[in-house]
Amino acid sequence: MRQLAPLTALLLIALACEGDKQSASSENAAAAPGGTVVISSGGEPDVLFPPLSATTTGQQITDLVYDHLADLGTSLNTVGDEGFTPHLAKSWTWSPDSLSIQFHLDPRAKWHDGLPVRASDVAFTYAIYTDSATASPRAPLVASVDSVTAPDSLTAVFWFSKRSPTQFFEATDPMVILPEHALQGIRGQALRTAPLARAPIGSGRFRFVNWTAGASVEIAADTANYRGRPYLDRVVWRIAPDPNTTFTRLIGGEADVLEDPSAAELTELATHRDIRATLLSGLDYNFIQFNLHDPASDSRPHPIFADKSVRRALTMAVDRAGAVQSVYDSLAAVAIGPTVRAYPTTDTTLREISYSPDGARRLLDSLGWRVSGADSIRRRNGRPLEFTLTVPGSSRNRVNMAVIIQNQLKQVGAKMNIDKVEFAAFIDRETRHKFDAMMGGWHVEASPAGIRQTWSSAGAHAGGSNYGSYTNPTFDAQADSALSAMTLPERRNLFKHAYQTIIDDAPAIWLAEPKNSVAIHRRIRTPALRPDAWWSSVAEWWVAPAERITRDSIGLRR
Amino acid sequence: MTRYLLSRFAQLAVVVFLVTSIAFFLIHVAPGDPFADAVANPNVSEAVRARWREAYGLDKPLPEQFVRYVTSVARGDLGWSFSKQRPVKAVLSDALPNTLLLMSIALFASFAVGIGLAVAQALKPGSLTDRVIGGISLFLFSVPEFLLALVLLVLFTYKFQRFPIGGMTDLDYPSFTPIRRLADIARHTVLPAITLTLLFSAVVARYQRAALQDVLPLDFVKTARAKGLPERVIVRHHALRNALLPTISLFGLAFPMLLTGAVFVEKVFSWPGMGSIIVGSIDSRDYPLLMSAIIIGSVLVAVGSLLADLLYLAADPRLRDAR
Amino acid sequence: MLPTRRTVARRLIANRSAIAAMALLLAIIIPCAGAPLFVSHDPLSQPDPVKLKYQPPSRISPFGTDELSRDVFSRVLYGGRTSLSIALVATLLSITLGTAYGAVAGFAGGVVESVMMRILDALMSIPRLLLLIAVFATWDELQVKWFILIIGFTGWYGLSRIVRGQVLAMKGEEFVMSARALGAGPARILLRHVLPNVLTPVIVAAALGVGRVILLEAGLSYLGVGLHPPDPSWGNIIQDGTDKIYAIASIWWISFFPGMALVLTVMAFNSLGDALREALEPRGIRS
Repeated sequence: MRQLAPLTALLLIALACEGDKQSASSENAAAAPGGTVVISSGGEPDVLFPPLSATTTGQQITDLVYDHLADLGTSLNTVGDEGFTPHLAKSWTWSPDSLSIQFHLDPRAKWHDGLPVRASDVAFTYAIYTDSATASPRAPLVASVDSVTAPDSLTAVFWFSKRSPTQFFEATDPMVILPEHALQGIRGQALRTAPLARAPIGSGRFRFVNWTAGASVEIAADTANYRGRPYLDRVVWRIAPDPNTTFTRLIGGEADVLEDPSAAELTELATHRDIRATLLSGLDYNFIQFNLHDPASDSRPHPIFADKSVRRALTMAVDRAGAVQSVYDSLAAVAIGPTVRAYPTTDTTLREISYSPDGARRLLDSLGWRVSGADSIRRRNGRPLEFTLTVPGSSRNRVNMAVIIQNQLKQVGAKMNIDKVEFAAFIDRETRHKFDAMMGGWHVEASPAGIRQTWSSAGAHAGGSNYGSYTNPTFDAQADSALSAMTLPERRNLFKHAYQTIIDDAPAIWLAEPKNSVAIHRRIRTPALRPDAWWSSVAEWWVAPAERITRDSIGLRR
Repeated sequence: MTRYLLSRFAQLAVVVFLVTSIAFFLIHVAPGDPFADAVANPNVSEAVRARWREAYGLDKPLPEQFVRYVTSVARGDLGWSFSKQRPVKAVLSDALPNTLLLMSIALFASFAVGIGLAVAQALKPGSLTDRVIGGISLFLFSVPEFLLALVLLVLFTYKFQRFPIGGMTDLDYPSFTPIRRLADIARHTVLPAITLTLLFSAVVARYQRAALQDVLPLDFVKTARAKGLPERVIVRHHALRNALLPTISLFGLAFPMLLTGAVFVEKVFSWPGMGSIIVGSIDSRDYPLLMSAIIIGSVLVAVGSLLADLLYLAADPRLRDAR
Repeated sequence: MLPTRRTVARRLIANRSAIAAMALLLAIIIPCAGAPLFVSHDPLSQPDPVKLKYQPPSRISPFGTDELSRDVFSRVLYGGRTSLSIALVATLLSITLGTAYGAVAGFAGGVVESVMMRILDALMSIPRLLLLIAVFATWDELQVKWFILIIGFTGWYGLSRIVRGQVLAMKGEEFVMSARALGAGPARILLRHVLPNVLTPVIVAAALGVGRVILLEAGLSYLGVGLHPPDPSWGNIIQDGTDKIYAIASIWWISFFPGMALVLTVMAFNSLGDALREALEPRGIRS
């Protein structure tokens, strides 16, 4: 009976989604202001200052309190300006040579302390993000922007040294606009302790109310907002580091939203009819990465993995779909390659290396790796087909996956030893290339440009993220031309070639693409959620008037 | 007396120095640097990381860092918590009172309950009451703290939804009147305090029962019995007063035990105290915060032991003269 | 003075809870120590993580299976093997250290004793759990032997105080003074005369200490700084179920059996410790 439960859960979820889509459109007319949404959060924000915030909770809050110039659409298209919604910038004009974009600010936009938003704020924001004294990890994301000028109080111009397909995305997505007047004279490390860092003043549709350390953060509707007040009165993040507490609050009615419930929690949620769990395309993919160089000496090829055919054979030996299903159940898709399905540039019709243990055995035989001895491990010229997989012990899913694959490889005569290490040590081994194979994973940003650092030759040196040192000039060229393509269809097609090259080369066994999920109380109606940021549309969420509960009726204070 | 106090304070300083040195040693022996999570993000450049290292002084030679560390701790500057993005001192001064609240409630309740149970046991040694209470004490003494806390959590917030689900305050706490705020905190304190009390009162009960066992066969008790006094009075007034003395020394043990218990109880109930800070800093590898929390914990224990010794001196006139 | 072995044995046998405790301990320790003989399933093997996960107790798996279809019964037994050996070795280390430190301090007297006691006071101020958390959280690739060593190195303070007290009391005794007068060296006096008389607190500390270490290991695993999976220890098996307690009604066996095993073992050791104290130094009232 146990194994039916997750399937039933999925069925219920699917039905719920369908039902809601229909009711949402007919009910939208009934959307009325009011309601309190409580988000059960496992982590506390570190600092509510966008250039420096490194926590998801912090980002969720600042995304609602501050505004981007324009917002990324749910399709995650980063080529050109398709799908972007005007926020702080009411409209924009491209220069004929596309080397600059003029953003026309909404004249009604005001900061939450009453002062108007001006173009000088935009220029100031750019200066703060890119100041090396700030040391913002987001600075490289705006690297393509040359400068920002403010010819008049409502026009901000972004200047670029060259055209690129993602210049609009880079001008608008990485930065939210900060109030210059609230940060007068504060620079560098002092920004962390500025009052604004713990009590943000933005121009967004929600304004900050309070932050009780260790307990909760509350934001409330900005009723006089230039884009109109949101439906909800308040949004509160209730913080509890213990997973039992965050989950029990959701099912106990003390909270309305829980992000990323675990598989066990989702199964449990299926029995609670008042909670709706939505699965979203994920932005993570994990893999077993082969070190193509010898761990003992980075200049020599790896005795086993330098050979592409061996890598392909090992990939054939692994039942990827089975392993992913065992570990993640329905909560992850099988990874296609070094990309995620959420990207509009990912073509899912790529040719994968199919699971075929017999094929693997034949291939290994033909390469000279023959079964010998009582332990049925393959050997070639005395060297056994044995290697060590380094896994971060902190991730249970990765460890479990490793154990399953170890077993599958044993069936074809390959011996994989599992070395579980503590996270910091894992990072250390990765960066110094001291591993045979490692169970790695990447979380990708909205733009697929990260692939340069992670899989192209540019990232294969010390300091880059291409830890396995995979180099193929063809792939480099294909990835580059894909990233330079100026239209989405062109980009998609070029990426298809690039991804196919790397899949064929098998520098890694692509494993799982975990899905994101978010559980929301039924009475809350939401539009389609953005896979990389389900919270971005909170200003459009509303509570069905007929289903309101006590905390919805408290109303706005002050 | 002053000389005694002075020597105890000097001892406190030694403790702080010892813990600080251990903390420093551990931080610097730890592999990798605390910014490992940032490393996983390919967008963080080496220049940014170098900046961070410089800001935390991690690029200076080891002995210099040690001196800097010890002197700053002595000054009360416990460094910067990068997981909370606030000075460590601020984080701990928010958390410490919450833990002290739990610990003090549990301390008094445990002694009251524990002594009460031990008296009940001593009234009729070998009886069913004695054995049942003894069995329960043994059980509570042998169960891991977090298991007990989890059982109580499931029972009283999930199965029978009688108490708030973790935390110290309600959602709308900032808008409550002071009276309502007190009531709110009280409601949230019940389960974690009960858990700590159950754990420590078992210790007290066992200890107190043994102490009573030592005292009851003594001559003065036999005399009282010969006088025809009821057993109840004998145990409560005569025996107990003498048997309480060794229990006062338990007061000193209470601090480390309650603090240890608080780590688990605060984690299970998401109570925002020192325990939660410690557990959180393990996960986020925020070593400055972790080590400072441990330093403060040790100071707390040392102060508690000093208080216990003073209490003992006050209670036992025999020792006072010797001083 | 110490009662004779026969008296001790007699008193223990007369104590019903002591008998129960010893029987329980044997019932737990023997299967755990001889785990390979008692179980046919490999505690690490995952026969079928999809179809056989979370199976309730049955004839093939008397304690059911866990999230990865591993047999809980074999994990409890092998886990017990690990946890018990850790607890026994660490406690042995602690009582050796404690006795040595206390005896040396008590015997040496003077400045040496003062300094040693001051150091002890400082060490006692650092809560054991917190120190262990600090060490294990920053320790890369923690191996079992270091785990045992460090736990052992932090559990001896109380005993050394008691031993020192006993040694101080002994120092004034006649037989010690006469031994000294006869020219016996301090080492000989320590070993032949003093130590046999401090046996009571040491034995009791051993029994209670084992229970404490088992609890400590469980707690450290719960916090994430204990022994790492998949090799089972009672601590990390119990920890598996602690983040899904709401589901505990439907998959109760994954935490119930290891939890019961742990609690019963610790209760038995504590009970034994109490009984030993009674037998070696009976108090006025017997129960």
